[in-house]
This record gives sequence, structure tokens and C-alpha cells, in this order.
Amino acid sequence: MDYTIWAIAPIVLLPFFAFVINAFIVKKFTKLAVTISCAAILGSFGFASKVFSDFVFGKYAEDYHIHKVFNWFDLSYGSQIFKLDMGIYIDNMTAVMLFMVTGVASLIHIFSTYYMAEDKRFGRFFVYMSLFTSAMLGLVLSDNLLSVFIFWELMGFCSYSLIGFYYEKEGAGNASMKAFMTTRIGDVFFLLGILAIWSVVGNVTFVDIYRAISDGSFNGAFALGIPLATFAGFSIFMGTIGKSAQFPLQVWLPDAMFGPTPCSALIHAATMVAAGVYLSLRMYPLMDAGNLTTLIAYIGGITAFGAATIALVQTDIKAVLAYSTISQLGYMVLGVGVGSYNAAFMHLITHAVFKACLFLSAGSVIHSLHDHHTHEHVQDMPRMGGLRKKMPYTFWAMMFCTLAIAGVPFFSGFVSKDRILGDALIMGIASKSYIIPALLGFAGALLTAFYMFRMMFLTFFGEPRDKDLYDHTKKETFSLNRNFPLLLLSVFTLGVFFSGSLTGQGFVKVAGERYEWFKVLITKPKVEKFASYERQPWGNTDIKSNFQLSKAEYDPTYGLPAKEAHHVHHWHLVGALISIFIAFTGIFIAYMMYIKKAWNPGRWVSMFTRWYRALQNKYYFDDFYIGGIIKKGLLPLNNLLAYIDMGLYDRYAVDGWEKVNRAFFTVAKWFDNIVVDTVAVDGTGASVRLFNVVLRMVQSGKIQLYFMIIVFTLVGFIWTL
Amino acid sequence: MITLSSYLMISLALFLSGLVVMISRKNIIAILLGIELILNAAALNFVAYTRFVNDNIEGHIMSLFIIVIAAAEAAVGLGIVIRFFQMRESIHIDDAAQLQS
Repeated sequence: MDYTIWAIAPIVLLPFFAFVINAFIVKKFTKLAVTISCAAILGSFGFASKVFSDFVFGKYAEDYHIHKVFNWFDLSYGSQIFKLDMGIYIDNMTAVMLFMVTGVASLIHIFSTYYMAEDKRFGRFFVYMSLFTSAMLGLVLSDNLLSVFIFWELMGFCSYSLIGFYYEKEGAGNASMKAFMTTRIGDVFFLLGILAIWSVVGNVTFVDIYRAISDGSFNGAFALGIPLATFAGFSIFMGTIGKSAQFPLQVWLPDAMFGPTPCSALIHAATMVAAGVYLSLRMYPLMDAGNLTTLIAYIGGITAFGAATIALVQTDIKAVLAYSTISQLGYMVLGVGVGSYNAAFMHLITHAVFKACLFLSAGSVIHSLHDHHTHEHVQDMPRMGGLRKKMPYTFWAMMFCTLAIAGVPFFSGFVSKDRILGDALIMGIASKSYIIPALLGFAGALLTAFYMFRMMFLTFFGEPRDKDLYDHTKKETFSLNRNFPLLLLSVFTLGVFFSGSLTGQGFVKVAGERYEWFKVLITKPKVEKFASYERQPWGNTDIKSNFQLSKAEYDPTYGLPAKEAHHVHHWHLVGALISIFIAFTGIFIAYMMYIKKAWNPGRWVSMFTRWYRALQNKYYFDDFYIGGIIKKGLLPLNNLLAYIDMGLYDRYAVDGWEKVNRAFFTVAKWFDNIVVDTVAVDGTGASVRLFNVVLRMVQSGKIQLYFMIIVFTLVGFIWTL
Repeated sequence: MITLSSYLMISLALFLSGLVVMISRKNIIAILLGIELILNAAALNFVAYTRFVNDNIEGHIMSLFIIVIAAAEAAVGLGIVIRFFQMRESIHIDDAAQLQS
């Protein structure tokens, strides 16, 4: 495996060139733009598949990776080192991410050709999609925090554009602004974190950070009185909170549903929100060193549970999915917090697949339901029902994904979520501080199963509640760009792809035994291995580690404390049984409420009116942010600053300075007029004119006078000689 | 006895008369004639020196060149005079005091 830049760069550059060509050259030729974008992402998928297959099916060394760097700029002077490297870093995690992002994005692109075909800004949509995908791929390939930050911001911009895509709609513009500004809060912290790391490490590449952690550079470094590892880790985690919509910055994500549904699939499944979790996984050693894992676990648990509760009462099909996204991201963050590194990453991948499929299915449903009175597409679940017969393909695709997200055994969501919950349970038993996040995680899983099946039952089962709408809906016939992405994605919700095979036999051989490929491939970065690490410039061959994974070194407990390690299998089994029980309980409740109608959800609502209202208002977060923080805090602050600016600076400093200057200028003006203008300028002119009166007589144009002058001059010269 | 100085005296006379003509006459053609006189004075110098100092052929060749140049110069000068006359209806040198037409 010898990679040159041409095997890797196209992964990012193809979609980027598609963006450039579509945005600046093709412009009006919509069909051409769509073709270019789709071809670019499929090409990118091809290159990513090569990398993926090399890493997953190739020969392994566990920590095999490619890391190539070039110096971007170097302003070092003497002992002051100020230089910045850029480069790519590919390890197993990157390879899996690349494959997932390009794969899911390809399918979303294909689906978009169906969903957006009648849109008047069809071409522009693909412009943004291409840029978005390339930004995400660039982020995944980055080897340092600064280029991560650059691509991170680029995605922020793209999400802004895509959320506000239907800018005619009231609210779309506000939603895009809200998404941009809310994530910006996290981004500011992220940038602070980067600077904090730079101040200690002198560089911001991942490997340099790992090395600094292992050689203790962070010990004794403080920022604002906080240990620097904690400060930097927290700041970077704030970036994750913003981008991955964690509590308390989750408010932007539901509003982001104003965007077209395929873009929701891209933002909320494969790309942007995944970037946050990806970053915190990459920076896991830093957060671990900063003792932030408990905080992260709490944030994850609260988000997972809180968002799930809000999803219970949503009636908009996309809103349910939006809250389920927040909730699932909460699980990933919980996984990071409890040190369940590979399960968190696995959930990132499985979630990307099934959530993309769920959003695309929802898009398929919404696109088919067309209200003939208002000429709008219908998203309200109370107006759906019984659509199973009208849309069999969409139904089955969505059913698979729902089973996956609910955590039913043999589906991908079960494999990954159960492992996170199992680890949370073990950590909860090992240390009391983790009990609450673990319990929140299990409770959230119950709610997840319930609200997802509630959505399925309301949409596809029972009698059509809006008969007129139902009758006008065309029966779904198989079309390639509509159904193929759905069905392919739904196939990959089967757990077997992620856990090995049904019998527990994995795909990957380690020391003669087979293991689940995810467990073997994705391991916590072992920082001590980077202690004596040399970076490779472009053109050199890859770094191949001689380290071959042996059974002794493969750690199925993923580095849990030794005391708990031998209980791991035991507690994992308990966790799995609880998960299964919880999933089926949730499904059963949904079934009793919405199919059998034995239990009346209305009675629950009337029993818990206050809670119901709180949930409908999203726990009043928006009201608190707008009414509390913005109106009470930021607006007065803004007014105060405006007063300082206008009343003090402007009035006294600026205007006062003007008066001083005016006085000075009166003197200066006199000096200018008399001394400079009259004496110096005009005097020079007059003297030159005097000289010129004499000189003008010489240049008469009469050639004989010139002769005379020449002759007399010559004679004069000869005379003097 | 005819010596070098005799030739040089004649040459000087030619040169001075040419110079006087150039400076004093107002007729452009007369000025051109004055220039010819000066050129001839120079040619005479060449021939005289080569005859009395070196006794080789180079001075003669140089004087031939001067004659050729004088002829070419006269042609060009007369051309300019004709063109000037067409424009100004005059060959008075003081009418040529301006660069612009």
C-alpha cells in the first residue's frame, strides 16, 4: 500500500471542483450541474472505497496510518517558533469515515435528483451539496485542528445556505441564521482551544497533541487558572456541543428542518453533526487527560434523554427525526464520555446510515403528499396514516431503519447503541458519578423505541386520516433515483455488517481468531506510541508500523479499569438484555396506543398537561434564549455598548479631538498660506521665471544664432587654452 | 615652395569663408553652399596631411567619402528646401525659426 497524493486528494477535490465548476461556470445548465455533482461524488466514493478496502481488508497493523505533511508557512525567528503544518492523516477511523461519508452522500445526491427535480433552484442545491461534502471530507482527512476548523466553518456556511435554501418561506432565513449563530458560540470556544493547545505544543496536529499528552507537556500549564488540558479539552468539546447540537446548544437543529429534506439527511446524518462527534473522538486523549469524561457523559446523557422526550410530542415527521438525531448524537457523546470509544464511533457510522435513510424516506413521503388546496407538501403526521399500501418500498426501507434506531436485535442500531449503554452501565457500576448518565441513556432508549414506532404507526398504519390527501397520492412505483438509495441504505442497517456475522464470528483475524472488525480497527489512540514520532513529508512512503496486533494486546474491555474488566462480559450481557427489553417495551407501548388504540395518549396528555406543554415548547429553551439571554442580557449589554460608543467615544473622544484639530488647523492654515504658499512656492516660481526670461532669448529658433553661439564658444575655449 | 602650411592656409580660408556664409547669409541655399565650402576645407585637410605626413592612400579615400557625403547631404538639404518652399513660399532662413509647421 503505497499512497501518493493522487490516490487521496481526489476524494476531496472532486466534489470541490464540482462545486467550483457548477458555481462559476455551468450556472444555468441545471442538468449538466446535477450530472457533474453526482459524477464527482461517485468518483470520490470510488477513491474512498479503495482507501477503505486497503485499510479494512488489507493487512493490518493496528496503528497503521498514513500521515503526510507539508509546511504551510514558517515564520520562525531564532528561538521563536511559529510555523504551521498542513497535511493528511489517515488511519482506520478516517478510512471508515471516508467510506461512510462518500457512500451516504452519493446516495443522498442520487435521491436529490428525484426530490429536487421540480425545484426552480435545482442546480444551486447541488452546488451547495458538493461544497458541503467536500468540506466534510476535508475535515475527515485533516491532520491538524486548524484545518479541521477551516473545514468546520466551511460546513457551517454550507449548512447556513442549505437551511435557508427556501428563503421565500418565512422562518427559513431565521432558521439558517439561528443555526449559524448558535454553532458560532461553540466555534469561538473551539478556536480558543486551538490557541491554547498551540501555546503549549507549538503545533496543532493530532500527533503532536498526542505526543504532548504522552510526554507531559500539559502538566503544569495553566490557562485562566485552569489546567490547560482541561481548558483546551473543554473548549474543543464546546465546539462539539455546538456542531453536534448537544445540550445546551441543541436549539438550532430542529429549526434546521426548514431546509430541503435531502440536505437534512446530509447535515444530520453523514456530515455536519457527525463532525462534532468525530472531533471529540479524535481529541479523546486530550479530554481524558483533562478529566472531562464525566462532564461529557452527563452532557450526552442529558441530551439523549431530553431530546427523546421532546420527540414524543412532535407531530411533524421531520421534527421527530430532528429530535431523534439530537438524541442519538447524545448517545455518541455519552459513548465518548464513558470511554466507549469504538462503540461511539460505531454508533456514528450506523446512525449515519439509518438516519440518512430515515430522512430520505421521510422526504419520499413528504414529496408524494401534495395538498391540492394549498399546493404545499404535507409534513404533518396527523394528516397521514395508512400510507403503507401507497408506498411499499419507502415503508419497508423506513421500517428497517426504525428497527435499527429503536435498538431491535440484529440491526445496526442495537449493535452500537447497546454497546454504548453496556459500557455506560459498567462505568456506572464502577463509579457512582456515571450512574445518572447511564440511567438517562437507558430511559432515552425506551423513549426512542416508542417515538420512532409512534411515527411509523401514525404515518404508515391505520386508516388514512386525511382521505382527500390519501386519494390524491399516487401509488409508489419503483424508480431508480427514488427507491434505490432507500433500499440500499436500509440493507446496511443490518447489524451483521458491523458486528461480523450472525454467529458472532467476526470478519477480522487476529492471532488466528476472528473478531468483530470494528472492535479491532477502532481503538483509542494510544498516546504513548506517539512519543517518538517523526512526521513524513510528501513523497515519502507511508509509515508502516511493525506492530502487528496480537491477541494479548487486543483488549476487549477497551481499557476499562482492571477491577471491572472481568465483569465486562457479564454486565454487557445484562446491558444487552435490558436494551432488548426496553426496545420491545417501547414498541409495545406505541402499538397499544396507536394500533390497538387500547391506551389513549390523550389521557396521558391531560394527566401531565404542564409537562406536555413544556415538551411542546422544547423545555422553553428558545424562550429562555430569546427572552432571557438575548432580551435581558445581550440586548441591554448591546444598548450599553452602543451608549458607550455613541455617547462617550463619539461625543467626547471623537468630537473633542475634532475641536483640538480645528484649532491646530487654523494655525496650520495660516502657516500654509503665508509661509509655504506665498514665500516658498510662489517665490520659487518667480525666481525660475526670472531666469527663464534670459534663457528664452537664447532659444530663438534662428539657426544662424546657434551657429554664432557655437563659433564664439569654440573660439572662447581655444582662447582660454 | 608649396608646403603643408600653404594647403592649410587655403583650407582655413575656405573654412572661414564657409562659416561666414553660413552665419551671415539669409538664403537657405547660400547656407548650404557655405556648408559645402566647409566640407571641402575638411577634404583638403585630409589630402594635404596624407600627402605630407603619411604619404599613403587613406586620406585620399577619406576625402572621397567626404565628397560622396557632401553630395548626399546636398541632395537631402535641397529636398528639405524644396519642401520648405512649398509650404512657406520662401527660402528665407528666419522663416524656419519654428519647429511646428
